[in-house]
Amino acid sequence: MWVAGVLLTGAWQPVAATEPAARQATPTPTSSTAVSADWIIGKLAQPVPMRTAFVELRESRMLKNPLRLSGEYRRPDEDVLVREVRAPYAETTTIRGGAATIERSGKPPRTFSLSRAPELAGLQASFGALLSGDRAALSEYYTTRSGGTRERWTLTLTPRVATTPPSTASTSATLKARTGPGSGLRDITLYGQGAELRCIETRMAGDPEPQRTLLASAAHAAGRVDDPARLAALCHVGVSAR
Amino acid sequence: MSPARRLALALAWLGLLLVAGWWIGQHLQVSGDLRKFMPSARTPEQKLLIDELGEGPGSRLLLLALSGDDPETLAGQSTALVEALAGDEHFTLVANGAASAGEAMLEAIPERLRPYRYLLTPTLDRHAFDAAWLADQLDARLQDLGSPAAALIEPLLPADPTLEVLALAESWQPEHAPQQLHDVWFDRAGEKALLAVQTTAAGFDPGGQQVAVGIIERAFAQARGDSSAQLTMTGPGAFSVEVGGRTQREASFIGTLDGLVFALLLLIAYRSWKAPLLGALPLASGGLAGLGAVALGFDGVHGITIAFGFTLIGVAQDYPIHLISHQRPGLSPWDNARALWPTLGTGVVATCIAYLTFVVSGVEGLKQLAVFTIAGLGVAALTTRFLLPGLIDTAENGGKLYDAAASPAMAWLWTKFASWPRLGVVAGLGLALASVAVAGFAPGSFWQNDLSRLTPVPEHLLALDGELRGELGAPDVRYLIVLQADDAELALQASERLQPVLQRLRADGRVRSFDLASRYLPSAATQRARQMRLPDAPTLRTALEDALVDSPFRSDVFEPFLADVATARQAPPLTAADLAGTPLAARIDGLLLRGDHQATALVALSGLGDPVAVAHAIEPFGAQLLDLKQASESLVAEYRVRLLWALALAALLLVATVWVALRDFRRVLRVLAPMALTTLLMLAVLRGLGVELNLFHLVALILAAGLGLDYGLFFDHAGDDRDSQLRALHAIVVCSLATLLVFALLATSSIPVLQAIGSTVAMGVLFNFVLALLIVRQTAVDRPPAPSSRDLARSRL
Repeated sequence: MWVAGVLLTGAWQPVAATEPAARQATPTPTSSTAVSADWIIGKLAQPVPMRTAFVELRESRMLKNPLRLSGEYRRPDEDVLVREVRAPYAETTTIRGGAATIERSGKPPRTFSLSRAPELAGLQASFGALLSGDRAALSEYYTTRSGGTRERWTLTLTPRVATTPPSTASTSATLKARTGPGSGLRDITLYGQGAELRCIETRMAGDPEPQRTLLASAAHAAGRVDDPARLAALCHVGVSAR
Repeated sequence: MSPARRLALALAWLGLLLVAGWWIGQHLQVSGDLRKFMPSARTPEQKLLIDELGEGPGSRLLLLALSGDDPETLAGQSTALVEALAGDEHFTLVANGAASAGEAMLEAIPERLRPYRYLLTPTLDRHAFDAAWLADQLDARLQDLGSPAAALIEPLLPADPTLEVLALAESWQPEHAPQQLHDVWFDRAGEKALLAVQTTAAGFDPGGQQVAVGIIERAFAQARGDSSAQLTMTGPGAFSVEVGGRTQREASFIGTLDGLVFALLLLIAYRSWKAPLLGALPLASGGLAGLGAVALGFDGVHGITIAFGFTLIGVAQDYPIHLISHQRPGLSPWDNARALWPTLGTGVVATCIAYLTFVVSGVEGLKQLAVFTIAGLGVAALTTRFLLPGLIDTAENGGKLYDAAASPAMAWLWTKFASWPRLGVVAGLGLALASVAVAGFAPGSFWQNDLSRLTPVPEHLLALDGELRGELGAPDVRYLIVLQADDAELALQASERLQPVLQRLRADGRVRSFDLASRYLPSAATQRARQMRLPDAPTLRTALEDALVDSPFRSDVFEPFLADVATARQAPPLTAADLAGTPLAARIDGLLLRGDHQATALVALSGLGDPVAVAHAIEPFGAQLLDLKQASESLVAEYRVRLLWALALAALLLVATVWVALRDFRRVLRVLAPMALTTLLMLAVLRGLGVELNLFHLVALILAAGLGLDYGLFFDHAGDDRDSQLRALHAIVVCSLATLLVFALLATSSIPVLQAIGSTVAMGVLFNFVLALLIVRQTAVDRPPAPSSRDLARSRL
């Protein structure tokens, strides 16, 4: 199974769900029809290998300004996910087999287990389902709600239970104690255009603003933009509306 | 007294025994604690083993493997097991890798101890808290905030920008954790979910281990539901439960079979269905009396002592047989008992006096054994003398009597034996010399001191244990490094000095990993040295402000950090006592033993490849590699030496007792020769077959000698009268057949300890019987009617 490893935190995005370059060039012919979640999930299923650029804005009360990261997500293999940050620093994270390895320039690589974020056990599994187009498996963890048209759709995933799967209940208490109440995932919204996933918003309980990851054409369009409002607009609005 | 009345009395006696057995069962504390069995420790290793450790920390670890279903299901069961067991007082540690142990421990460390992190990690040994280092740390934290771990790390940063807490949690992780699948430990093949459980009960406490194993099994049954998964448990505790259970099952199966055989034999021998009941009562009374005496006189009794004791009082089984076989028409059972008493009594008294020597051995287990056997044999003999006659059927009291002297089969047998040659002094001496030669010169070691070899763990479980131990990096159960000092602080300092050596040994591959208390709790000296390196408040504030210039971090968020460092700088060094009640305490208490005048630091080792090299490398640091196996074996050897001295003394006392009873050099020689020769012959056979003798062989030899003494005494008692000889022959044939069958069945056991006792005693019975016939039996003079055996006994004593 794809380890899903995708998410260590809500900010770790299922980028592998983005388009290979070849398909990005082919807009979906049928337009202006209302979309169903099934249609979107069918479109998002992707073969490997694939890669896509990203731009991510991270806000933290510890920082004077939001942290703007850019780089590339790669999925060289079914069960490997690479997140390469190129700016403002160089860092490569490889997720494979339930563990993440972080390499930073001038430091020895560090490996830690994904199990340190037990709340995301469900997310890990669900994104595997998303990438393989397995609607049934996805429904196990989320209720899905679709909106918009095939040219400009949204897919909102809301966790079925606010808490974590029972198998990780005891460990999640540990994590909650550390990160404070309300740190759980509220929902994830995917923004897309035809078969292209353009943006992911992850909303954590207690955070006013979602964390955004812009992908593919949206990431290219973001260029050197670092204003949160403009990035949010790029995330929400299709390329044509640029 | 009518036959019905006698039967009622016999049943009442049986009922009384059952009640007494129940009472003793309530009061007797059987323990597997080696200390109840072994002589007091002499060498420093033995002292450590007995007084301090009991056993090494590795011996309290149970290794669990779940297999037989898909990994995800197994992982769920593993988590359910941890949830079920984690809060249980029977376990000090339950780990399956989830919520990595270190972090879980960190969570349970109270807030007041958090500032100590700067004194517990080695960070300050390598870095100063200056502007350059802090700036470097802040750069790394920025990357953390942009990383997948941001949500985990962000809340920690205000108080801990250097992430000391994570460094601490990491240093508490097992060094070689297995791989994780679905958040829990799995073996390399990904087929078995692995767990490590440390019991509160010591490894040498089979009762405690049994409770722990039972709780785990029930928890697993609950977690498993209807899945096909299976639980395998290894580790010393699991083995002791498994092997103890198997030994008990086999012993009780053979015991039941023995009971049936014994009953059947008496039924045939006396043509009476009451005979088995009468035959069993004195032995059962003796056994219970022995247990009761031990229960009254001692705090607890070792399981091995009970096993030895019941083996040794097996000789009491013969007492009622002698009485019933010697019963003849016209003689009241009371007179019969009175007539036999000098002979029976000589055997009992001689044996009891011999066992008295165990009391002076200075070994707790042997003292208990002496009390058990003396009380047991005494009561069995006294009940045979003073109670049993009242229950025996004779023609005169309305019952039916079987007279052995009237049996044609016995007469035929007697004629057969009468044609056997006599064994002369020269032939006897020759046989003795040959036996000594064989026993002395047989190749291989004479003694086997490894008691665990007597109840061996099945091969496949041992292999699995080795595999799991390797996968989990669990500590070695045999070797352990020991550092002794005047107090805990000095012991911790010594551990710290040893740490670089251990790291080098690990780098060289001589050990795979090690664990010691100073890893969790540095010495106060080290903590103070780190405090000295912590900057004071103004210096740290300036350094932090310098580091924050041009940093994306806000400058006002790190106040909690400044406060924590100030606290750490002033705090009195953390001691083991401060950690009481935290999960860290369990680990430290297992590795740092604190006595009133001494402290012992232990280093648990895993993957020890070259004990000699390790022992050599650590020696200059005042540390010692303890071989627990060798220490316990040397104790067994010491037990045996004491036992042998006691036996030598016992042999002298026994000869003296028989001498006092018989007062005739030739008769004493004749009575004692069979048992002496038998002992030598048995040694020769065992050694000739390459058997390494253990304590159980020794006990079996003692029992055989006791039987031989009785055979000799009763053949001697029969004199040259044909009928008396016939009855004595009947008694001894029944006795020896019963004992032979009982122990021959035991000899077929698959468990070496039962086999050792069974085969040795069975062989002893055979030799004793044959040699008694060849040496003691006198040529019979056929002159009916015979004088009463009572007159004979009187004339002799």
